[in-house]
Amino acid sequence: MFKWFLSHQWKEMTRSNFWQKSIVINIIIGFFMLIMFSYLVLLGLFIDKILLDIYPEGDVFEIFNGGIIYYVGADLFVRFFMYSLPVINIESYLPLPIKKSKILNFILLKSTVNIFNVLPLFVFIPFALKVVLVNYSGTLALSWFVLMIILVLNISFLLHYLKRKFIDKPAFVGVLALIIVSAILLDKFDIYSLSEISSNIFTYISYNPLFIIVPVIILALMYVINYTYLKSRMSIEEVNVKKQRKVDGLSKLKYLDSFGDLGEMILLELKLVWRNKRCRSVINMSPIFLLYGFFFYPQEIYLEGFGFLIFVGVFMTGGIMFNYGQYMLSWESNYFDGILAHNIDYQKHFRAKYIMIISTVIISYILTIPYVFFGTKVLIINTATFLFNLGFLSLLLMYFSSNSRKRMDMTKSSAFNYQGLGATNWIMILPFFLLPILIWIPFNLFGVPNWGIAFIGLIGVVSLAFHKSLMKIVVKRFEEKKHAIAEGFREL
Amino acid sequence: MIQVNNLAKAYNGTVVLNVPELKIEKGESFGLVGNNGAGKTTFFRLILDLIKANKGEVLSQGTDVKKTTIWKSYTGSYLDEGFLIDFLTPEEYFDFIASVNNLSKGDVKKFMDQFEDFFNGEIIGKKKYIRELSRGNKQKVGIAASLITDPEILVLDEPFASLDPSSQIRLKNLLKQLKQEKNVTMLISSHDLNHVTEVCERIVVLDKGKIIHDIKTQEDTLKELENYFAV
Repeated sequence: MFKWFLSHQWKEMTRSNFWQKSIVINIIIGFFMLIMFSYLVLLGLFIDKILLDIYPEGDVFEIFNGGIIYYVGADLFVRFFMYSLPVINIESYLPLPIKKSKILNFILLKSTVNIFNVLPLFVFIPFALKVVLVNYSGTLALSWFVLMIILVLNISFLLHYLKRKFIDKPAFVGVLALIIVSAILLDKFDIYSLSEISSNIFTYISYNPLFIIVPVIILALMYVINYTYLKSRMSIEEVNVKKQRKVDGLSKLKYLDSFGDLGEMILLELKLVWRNKRCRSVINMSPIFLLYGFFFYPQEIYLEGFGFLIFVGVFMTGGIMFNYGQYMLSWESNYFDGILAHNIDYQKHFRAKYIMIISTVIISYILTIPYVFFGTKVLIINTATFLFNLGFLSLLLMYFSSNSRKRMDMTKSSAFNYQGLGATNWIMILPFFLLPILIWIPFNLFGVPNWGIAFIGLIGVVSLAFHKSLMKIVVKRFEEKKHAIAEGFREL
Repeated sequence: MIQVNNLAKAYNGTVVLNVPELKIEKGESFGLVGNNGAGKTTFFRLILDLIKANKGEVLSQGTDVKKTTIWKSYTGSYLDEGFLIDFLTPEEYFDFIASVNNLSKGDVKKFMDQFEDFFNGEIIGKKKYIRELSRGNKQKVGIAASLITDPEILVLDEPFASLDPSSQIRLKNLLKQLKQEKNVTMLISSHDLNHVTEVCERIVVLDKGKIIHDIKTQEDTLKELENYFAV
């Protein structure tokens, strides 16, 4: 049976029109990957030198193990945003005489084969070979490496559970975040030392390989938890209980009526976001963007420079916009033919989306104003990046939204279906984040970084002033691409 | 009303539609029949500018549908569920379509009253989103929405499919009435030879993208078609 699943998955992957999108984009993604791999290998090869530089007294192996707890935290954080849960179209298998357990085991096993589980090995393998094997012993290198693999698998399954849970119950992850933040705070106040605990645990187990049984048991538990959780979700899908849901209050929102058909279109956008689980989970994630400042602002190194602050500013005031803007056409893929065939004015249609986008930017900006607590520099940079997002990036994002080709099925319940919430989507919008920094760099080279900040804001103001003419370009491109978009969206 | 010149569409080198010339007069009811893959939906999509032709053009009242959008104001259409905004309730959907066509909500109300029988009490006031409706009811919503604007041209792809027998009969009567009272030009495809010969006065048979029969409906048309499709 697994053989069939594997072949179906392989076919699904290779036949996806993701690959047919554009050779240029594929090459760019491949290039990024290659750079990332080589960085990681270099890191693994020279991390002992780096560590000895910082802690000349210590034992490299123990110091490295002390850092692992932070790696676990960072990995969970990155995966939470970048990792798309494995999709398998279980509806087509459920009516067949296949044991449910087989389907579930396949989904879970498949989840272990992903890039985020492979990447850490690029660091761990060189470290185990070059440092542990040479300076300590072969058995230690082996037991440590096995321990690391089990750790990575544990992270993978833990995240798997958290992410599914998050989509069902966002509050759950909020509570978890609170626990993690307090753990870090307690460490900061020297109640205990996280790195010491981490170092002790991983060093001890490596020297006493019998204790590897403990993480293995945890791994087994993780597997069982994931399994039972998926199983409970699966039966809901299978029985397909149609709860008598009430239609929400948006249908009574009369205020927008006074704006005529533009108001009607904005109302449509609001309903789209509110009534589809898929969009809602993206919106639920948005508060996390606004918290981004807390990671950077408390640290002097970042506050002294500009680059990171610009990045954080773009990210915070534009995070929701990026999420909404890059999917704005894909979210319509279910009824895109209707949009084309009915007498809908594309200018107005895009204008409604534009109003939605700039509203999210304005709201995000207002919410980030309290960061002025960390200095007026923060506020000034956030204002410049806000204007840049508001005037320029919003339209640029809409311009590139005409590149969407992949249908997104909004009607499927989200328990087994997470397409379009993964890493490649972020790689696509990475250039948008980097653009303001690239604009700023030349000013910095000439020693006038503040002018650079002003210029970023100026671009935003100018494009805002000309937004009507710029919008025409956006819509013109959409009209040129609409057939290709529609064709992509029709493919199930 | 609609004039097709040299129209051809190919996917990966395989020609799926090739219509050198076709003219549909105002007020004509035009039925399109053909087996799966004959090119019916492709043809309708080309007429509605949903796909790009490899060559040729479709003129609606003399203007190319690719180049302007004026035709959208007098053309009503429903091809498949891809036309329906599935997270709206039927009422909200009708309001939306009316609004983009600059009709008032009063117009919509009056218009919907005509469909009371056709909807059979299962569409209006049910507090359900379109995505929660059965396939047949979705189809009814789509057909009704295509008629909101009082179109001069109506394009329906397999409107009888997935409707229950009573609804099929009601739809037939509705279409006949539209023709008699408002002289609507209708383009209807169907797999059901019975229905299509009853509603349409001209039947065109497509096979592998080519028009192989173009007949005025008469007494024996149904027999003729049945003979043709019998293997």
